[in-house]
Amino acid sequence: MKQQEFFTSRWALIIATIGIAIGTGNIWRFSRIVAQNGGGSFLIPWVVFLLIWSLPLIIAEFAIGKSARYGPVGAIAKTAGRQFGWMGAFIAFVAAAIMFYYSVVTGWCLRYFLSAASGSLFDIADHLIYWETFSAGYQPLMFHTISILLVAFVVLRGITKGVEKVTRLLVPSLLIILIILLVRAVTLPNAVEGIKYFFTPDINIILDHKVWLNALTQNAWDTGAGWGLIMAYAIYMRRREDISLNAALIGFGNNTVSIIAGVTIFSTVFALSSVDAMEQVAKSGPANTGLTFIYLPMLFEKITPSSTLNIIFASLFFIALFFAAVTSLISMVELATRTIIDFGVKRRRAVILVASAAILLGIPSAVNMNILVNQDWVWGVGLILSGAFISFAIIRYGVDKFRREVINGYGSDVQIGKWYNYVIGILVPLQVVILISWWLISSVSWEPEWWNPFLMENAGTVIFQWAVVIGFFMAFNKLIVNNTLNENQSG
Amino acid sequence: MELSTILTMIFVIGVVVGGLGFFLSRAVKYEKLKAKNGED
Repeated sequence: MKQQEFFTSRWALIIATIGIAIGTGNIWRFSRIVAQNGGGSFLIPWVVFLLIWSLPLIIAEFAIGKSARYGPVGAIAKTAGRQFGWMGAFIAFVAAAIMFYYSVVTGWCLRYFLSAASGSLFDIADHLIYWETFSAGYQPLMFHTISILLVAFVVLRGITKGVEKVTRLLVPSLLIILIILLVRAVTLPNAVEGIKYFFTPDINIILDHKVWLNALTQNAWDTGAGWGLIMAYAIYMRRREDISLNAALIGFGNNTVSIIAGVTIFSTVFALSSVDAMEQVAKSGPANTGLTFIYLPMLFEKITPSSTLNIIFASLFFIALFFAAVTSLISMVELATRTIIDFGVKRRRAVILVASAAILLGIPSAVNMNILVNQDWVWGVGLILSGAFISFAIIRYGVDKFRREVINGYGSDVQIGKWYNYVIGILVPLQVVILISWWLISSVSWEPEWWNPFLMENAGTVIFQWAVVIGFFMAFNKLIVNNTLNENQSG
Repeated sequence: MELSTILTMIFVIGVVVGGLGFFLSRAVKYEKLKAKNGED
């Protein structure tokens, strides 16, 4: 199929791709994980894994998408061989499964923005009860549906008129809002204590292997590397577009946003909270929402002496969260849409199919928090397997050949050296084996019935759900690949 | 502030934000070069 639509400039591509990487995880998950892993002690391994996990995989995704001009199924089949198309299907499925509940989270952010903007968020006596009442009612379902419909409308308009136009507006707005919040946070009295905690390392904690594994996991989830989403946008890169430099901008840009968010949250919590500041930041709360939806609203009530300004700051925070979620959700819907387009379906019909499926399959997570937690656990760890499949595809193709012909090919501004061969061929697969083994073995220690596939967060449910999906795609591999790689697609 | 805090701050901000600044300046440079050469 001849590619007909492209991002209009390098900057449009970078902004859209940064929109994928910057999600709610940069704002709430990052701060919580930093707090749980000793503050500054966590940041050192986190930077190391940016270099040896995220960057190599972002480069790989850009290169595979740009050269294959197909969604994950066709791209992996063309890179690794037709017999491995099921791996691409798995990558696309994992991103879609995350989309089903991520739209619920996007809906929460929208709902809290509306509450903050109307001032009603500050009329509440107990934020935990408020959250529990909201999450148990019909509203999450309603806001999940609104989120999907909004995003589907963007994707329906295509890459240049939809995705590019919206991300050009939302991503810079998000960055401006985060900088406004950062300035307010660091100018609060006692904010320096939060900054100190954020950057102070403890050598005993740095030597703890769990901190390194958490840093790797955070990088895998945070940058969007290995999800297949960057691969989906790379399909629309112009031929003259560079790969490596753009990939570096995404990785470093994403982690810069995490640092801004971290400094903002730690400064605010230490400045406005009582002695239990660290405990509050580290607390997970229901579905890991404790810090964002329960504790921060309490702090926003006293961020300035003026209640009007407090409403503005709280609204800015929640709209920033919503923008971060929407720009990531757009890429998830686009990935699923592109996978269906590759089967020869028109974009309009593909978007309608994806949106309908997303609304329906998101219902369980919208109405039952346990299902959301289960899906987050199963497909969150599944992302690491997606990263492994991308790395495997390059190894099958020939790592050195891939580096010379695809990454350093036409359009490349900078040449990637042989170090890449060792990182993507040895280090990334090694990290995958260590990380998946660690997560599954850890889950055995916290759940005696680790083998039971019907429990919420254990090894059994992960292995069972992965096996069903992989088994299905392996069984229908030939059919899926043949339908994707035929020459009659409608783009 | 302790020396270890300052060193960590320099390392983390230096690598991450410094890396972003470095690669951004390279991207701007190459983009200008491509525009000058009339590449599309």
